[in-house]
Amino acid sequence: CTDLNAPIESEYTPSNFLTTPEQFIAASGPVYSQMRGEVAKAYWNLQELSTDEAVIVARNGNYYDGARYQQLSLHTWNPQNEFVRVAWEWGFSGISTCNRTLALFQNTPDGAFKTQFTAELRTMRALYYYLMMDAYGNIPLVPEFGNTTQPTNATRQQVFEYIEQELKAVLPNLSPDVSAQTYGRPTQSTAQALLAKLYLNAEVYIGQPRYTEAIAACNVLIKSRKHSLAANYLDVFAVENGPQVSEIIFAVPFDANLAQGNMMSRFALHQQMKDKFGLLFTPSNASLTWPEFFALYQEPTDTRNQQWLSGKQYLSDGRTPVLISTTKKGLDSRYTGSDGSAAISYHLELSDRLTFRDAAKFDVGNDELGKAQGTRNIKYYPDKSSTSRDQGNDLVLLRYADVLLMKAEALLRGGQDPDGATALSLVNQVRTRAQVPAFTTLTLATLFEERSREMAWEGWRRTDLIRFGKWEAVWGQGLKTNADTYRRLFPIPATELTLNTNLKQNPGY
Amino acid sequence: AQAQNSTREVAYFAVPAGPLTSALQQLQRQAGVSIVYEARDLQTTQVSATELRGARVGDILRQLLRNQPLRFEEKQGVIILQPTNPAAPAAPGKRAPQSRQVKGRVTEAGGAALPGVTVLVKGTTVGAVTNGAGEYTLDLPEGAETLVFSFVGYLAREVAVGEQATIDVALVQDAKLLNDVVVIGYGSVKKGEVTSAITSVDPREFNRGVVATPDQILQGKVAGLNITRSGDPNATASVVLRGASSLRTGQAQEPFYVIDGVPAASINLVAPDEIVSIEVLKDASATAIYGARAANGVILITTRRQKPSAAVSYSGYVGLEQVSNTLDMLSGDELRGYLEANSKSLSPADNDAGTNTDWQKEVMRTGLSHNHTVSYGGGSEKSAFNASVNYFKREGVMNTSDSERLIGKINLDQKTLQDKLQLRFTLTNSLLTQHLISELVYKNMFTHLPTTNIRNADGTYKENLTRTQYYNPVALLAQNHEERKINTLLGNASAQLTLLKNLTNTLSLSMQNEAVKGGSYQGRESPVPNAANVTGLAAKGLARRYSVENSRKILENYLTYSPLSTAAHNLKVLVGYSWQEDKNGDGFQTDTRGFVSDQLGYNNLALGNPGGVAPNYDAAIAGYSLGISTLRLISLYSRVNYGLNDRYFLQVSVRRDGSSAFGRNNRWGTFPAASLAWNLAGENFLSGFRKLNELKLRVGYGITGNSLGFDPLIATQRYSSVGTFYYNGAFIKAIGPTQNPNPDLKWETTAMLNVGLDFGLWQNRLGGTVEYYDKRTSDLIWNYPVSTTQYFVNTLYANVGEISNKGLELTLSAQPVQTSSFQWSLTGTLAHNVNKVEKLANEQFRLDQVYTAYPGGSGQSGISTQVVKTGYPVGQFFLPEYAGRDENGLSLFYKADGTTTGSPTLNDYRYQGNAQPRLLYGLSNTVSWKNLDLNFFLRGVQGNKILNATLANLNIPAQSTANNLPAFSLTEPYADNRANYYSNRYLENGSYLRLDNVTLGYNLPLKSEYVKRARVYLTSQNLLTLTNYRGIDPEMSLGGLTPGLDNNNFYPKTRSYVLGVNLDF
Repeated sequence: CTDLNAPIESEYTPSNFLTTPEQFIAASGPVYSQMRGEVAKAYWNLQELSTDEAVIVARNGNYYDGARYQQLSLHTWNPQNEFVRVAWEWGFSGISTCNRTLALFQNTPDGAFKTQFTAELRTMRALYYYLMMDAYGNIPLVPEFGNTTQPTNATRQQVFEYIEQELKAVLPNLSPDVSAQTYGRPTQSTAQALLAKLYLNAEVYIGQPRYTEAIAACNVLIKSRKHSLAANYLDVFAVENGPQVSEIIFAVPFDANLAQGNMMSRFALHQQMKDKFGLLFTPSNASLTWPEFFALYQEPTDTRNQQWLSGKQYLSDGRTPVLISTTKKGLDSRYTGSDGSAAISYHLELSDRLTFRDAAKFDVGNDELGKAQGTRNIKYYPDKSSTSRDQGNDLVLLRYADVLLMKAEALLRGGQDPDGATALSLVNQVRTRAQVPAFTTLTLATLFEERSREMAWEGWRRTDLIRFGKWEAVWGQGLKTNADTYRRLFPIPATELTLNTNLKQNPGY
Repeated sequence: AQAQNSTREVAYFAVPAGPLTSALQQLQRQAGVSIVYEARDLQTTQVSATELRGARVGDILRQLLRNQPLRFEEKQGVIILQPTNPAAPAAPGKRAPQSRQVKGRVTEAGGAALPGVTVLVKGTTVGAVTNGAGEYTLDLPEGAETLVFSFVGYLAREVAVGEQATIDVALVQDAKLLNDVVVIGYGSVKKGEVTSAITSVDPREFNRGVVATPDQILQGKVAGLNITRSGDPNATASVVLRGASSLRTGQAQEPFYVIDGVPAASINLVAPDEIVSIEVLKDASATAIYGARAANGVILITTRRQKPSAAVSYSGYVGLEQVSNTLDMLSGDELRGYLEANSKSLSPADNDAGTNTDWQKEVMRTGLSHNHTVSYGGGSEKSAFNASVNYFKREGVMNTSDSERLIGKINLDQKTLQDKLQLRFTLTNSLLTQHLISELVYKNMFTHLPTTNIRNADGTYKENLTRTQYYNPVALLAQNHEERKINTLLGNASAQLTLLKNLTNTLSLSMQNEAVKGGSYQGRESPVPNAANVTGLAAKGLARRYSVENSRKILENYLTYSPLSTAAHNLKVLVGYSWQEDKNGDGFQTDTRGFVSDQLGYNNLALGNPGGVAPNYDAAIAGYSLGISTLRLISLYSRVNYGLNDRYFLQVSVRRDGSSAFGRNNRWGTFPAASLAWNLAGENFLSGFRKLNELKLRVGYGITGNSLGFDPLIATQRYSSVGTFYYNGAFIKAIGPTQNPNPDLKWETTAMLNVGLDFGLWQNRLGGTVEYYDKRTSDLIWNYPVSTTQYFVNTLYANVGEISNKGLELTLSAQPVQTSSFQWSLTGTLAHNVNKVEKLANEQFRLDQVYTAYPGGSGQSGISTQVVKTGYPVGQFFLPEYAGRDENGLSLFYKADGTTTGSPTLNDYRYQGNAQPRLLYGLSNTVSWKNLDLNFFLRGVQGNKILNATLANLNIPAQSTANNLPAFSLTEPYADNRANYYSNRYLENGSYLRLDNVTLGYNLPLKSEYVKRARVYLTSQNLLTLTNYRGIDPEMSLGGLTPGLDNNNFYPKTRSYVLGVNLDF
């Protein structure tokens, strides 16, 4: 007997999988679970830690980790940077997964299900391409699965045109419906909002203004009346956010147990905030915002101020101070008095300043004062029901307020609106919801500030800074001075260049 | 080349009790020799039941003539049997000169009487045989000068007669003779005919002490076999033969075990007391008969089958085990003083007045072990049995860790069809229970502040959870439990049928079933996160249970044919077929949470309150895979052994292996080997060198494969659960590809050349072996990164790389002193190996290097310390070079351009030594004096590096308000916040010399009709270690891809004291 065909009993393989529609639905899942994988981690780090909005400092050596965070903040990253690599692999795995799923799906009988399903997968592929094109620029364009010849770089313009064509082509076949049935998957609104993003940044991407087309995309979306601003700003990002929030155009759904990957609170919160928010885990006390960004929030009635945690801290009752029992030296390791060991009780005050003890190493110290450095973001409000370090807040990638602000910006930048809306009225819709007085005048500079306040921590800051020409500015208490314009693109990771010798590195690296 | 008939080997010889003449007739028939005798001399002679395997005709005759006044000699190919003292014919006329008489007693080295010893006057046929008390009387003929004492299994001794009237002699057992036959897999050969690198280890050389499995008893005994034993009662030893030859880890680096002819049987089934011999097959010409699983060497274990006559034996010991070394950490007061001196202070929460908690002491204990083996057997010539029971319990030195094992074994042998059919049946069952502990303890017993109490005033454990990975070590052990029960059953039935006089067919059927049941529980207060980052505290108790079965069925059938068996030519041919099917991972695991009490642990999952959290069926179980997977292996094999004139020996073998795990395009592999041996000592041109009694040159070359540790579906595209996604209002499972297919995937190929020289001098008083090998492994499997622009997932298993190992091995044994009351023998081994990665990439799969060994640690996430790179060995350290400190006391490191920096990057790293030793050595000494014997065993390595990451991570003075410091740090500048950076500062010399085992034994001089033999012994393991290494222990596992990394990652090494007894009834 020489038969080596052992039975396969507990795994799906091509011989026993993908024969029914239900299996196809399950097989499309990786396109979405992949998106969840790094969108709130490595990709978010690229988009936010590289800006004035977020920073991870070292605390007496902790979180130094070979300067991988510091490199992002100071624009000194290289092709070996961990997040540059992980985000690339994440995005292209997503594209590859879309291609593969589409290829599998081609053999099924035609019908309404197949039409919509195909359109959704192509929109997801366009979204992945958009995120990769935005971050890395001249990326390989591989619209099919299984071709083993290694691709070369496409120009950013080619990728731009591909995304545009794809979105336009699939739009009619996407669901116009905005409901729990379509939540988490792309709809017509998703494609329109993504087109608006593409056109708004066209000057950066391809050197051509496409503002009128950006406005047109926004208009279709606005006029569909499927979306509106949520009454309460923080509801959009709450643990319970979901299909009921009509402001959300496209979100990546998370669940603390079933769909993990959102750990915003774990990274942002001071250890002692565990009690304040009733958390079942101890946070890591890592990510903060730069003081100059926090300074943008000056209006006391602004409901968007609630996304920040700053100043003296109280427990959830709002009265009981968060007290830390320590000593004078434990509070401030630089204390030199002879009573340094005397016990004191420190009322935790999250400092809106950032004082570096060792700027070269991005280190703020790890005594109680060091730990308390920095304003924290709780836009994605901590999930007290979670028993792990994950939280259930869906990550909002595209939302209605962004559409309004994008349209306003496109108008200010010279785009034409057949409906005759003004940028001022659009921005004021957003301001009114935030419970701050309406603007009477609007410039690109004030729009930028408003956009900053509204969109903090949502993963678009890098794109916005580049579009507004502020990417090369100095920030980070004067530490970030690098003004290399080639850094508007991230480098193609060193590992990818090793794998595919047909690829050329982005200029400058 | 004279007495060839009496050296002819008989594979199996057995006679019932009865007349000697019928035994001799049978021997003539079986061995094809002529024996002549006078019938009247043997008329009344009876022999007892005798059974011998693989013995020579001469040995069989000696056994049969034991206690008989008969002797034999061979003349011109005929064996002549005659009375020892022929009735002296009265000489007519001249009177024979008066001969004088000599008498004496012959004993074993231990003092026990040896009956049946032949005492011969040298150069004559005059002799005597000792009686039941070992006594003899001999009439010396004229001119007698020397007496020769000989007995099967013992070294013959010559004693000058002189004027003595009484000559007492002690004979020493001859290890070589006992192991005259060497098991080579699917058969055996005589030692003198071995053509490849095989080391036989006799039970008397085994390591004594608290030893659980066969691998541990070989530590240091075989040159080139590097075994690292852990102090953990539940860890298996890591075994590496002749250097790392795979980039895969775990089973892929281990040798292949064959136990009593059953390939791939579990070593958990073997109690060390039951082992009769171990053969280590080292080179490819020896192992290639096991084909695609043999590249890491093959270890053949033979266990006791039956005793020649009804007998009962007991062996047992009691042992105490203690940690052999601890790290010198600061006491509470020392730490307070240090902080005070640096004007720092502890938080009140971390400072309990006057407290000095020694956490290492708090989590450790003196472990008690005991082991008992009872074995008995008996039967007749036609049917025989043996049964044994082994019980072993070992408490680890870390609190709550222990293991307990019960092995039962039964052998039944039956002969029928006029002895042409031999049936054998073996059933072994092992039940192993393990209590495992959290690895977090190893770190926290150092880092936890000595200034805090174990418990709060209210009796709860004191914790400070504001720090990551900082837990009360005592609480860790008390609040988290894991237990595992492994039941292994092996049944083997074999039938050996003699078809023709020289043609035998052997059919063997085996079935092994391993059933693993386990569970873990994290208590309601446990702050430790599980793999999903859920703590017992958050979940109000987390319970997990699992059950998994791995089964294996093996059919082996082989024919052995000996067409030529003459004095000049000896030809043996083997042809076989084997079929094996493994079904692994048949089981499941589940978990729940939310208990109102910790009382029942994981024993009743139904009492949990999961509160809507779905059970996790996907969690990994360390060491086991879940989900049924079937592996089928089919093989054809053949071997030819040819011997010419007892001087030239040739062995050629080939095996063809097919595996269902290999890719579709590479399902079958062929593994050929050939070896030659030349017995130089038998050549005429060396006949003048009388001191030289053995000199043999061996050359072998062969190709073997490594497919151990293969997942059966490693080459197939797989779809698995890849998280969940939101569809139609709910989260459902996404199913996607998790593995790229590779239809070309196959075994790793090892080609090895081996040249060996065996020698023996002065009747083997000095003997040894030198081996040189050149081992080249290609088609190394690595999970290569591939571009996700073309592939489903970003890695692909492919055969690309190459590794070479070249080395020299030397084994020497000597018996410098051999007198009747005092003997000294010693054995030394020495091994040198050079390992090198030759290739990692090819046209299709590109990989410059693999950065490995990420110790982590405060602020050092993602920092690698080793590199796997072409031209360097596995375990190559790649680190910054330390450049002292700057004027502020801060550590500096050299940059690539020679200047210094405080924050080195990968560009500044340098190649700095490697973890693989240049030399491995062992030296065993046995000294016996009368009934006392003393054995001591030294072992060591030379020329390797260890990265002491444990010390680096502890040496953070600036964090000493949060973590305890080692005494080492007292001389470090407080301000140096990069003192802990990995660099060659923490790369230490890993050489050591260890007094590994000392055993003092005493054979009780019993004269009891109930107890035949009694021995008591005292053993100490790991008594003393000489090293400059600053860590807990320099003995690092050389297995895995990142050897030589000391990173809070191991169970402490132990020292043990054992009192044991062996009794034969």
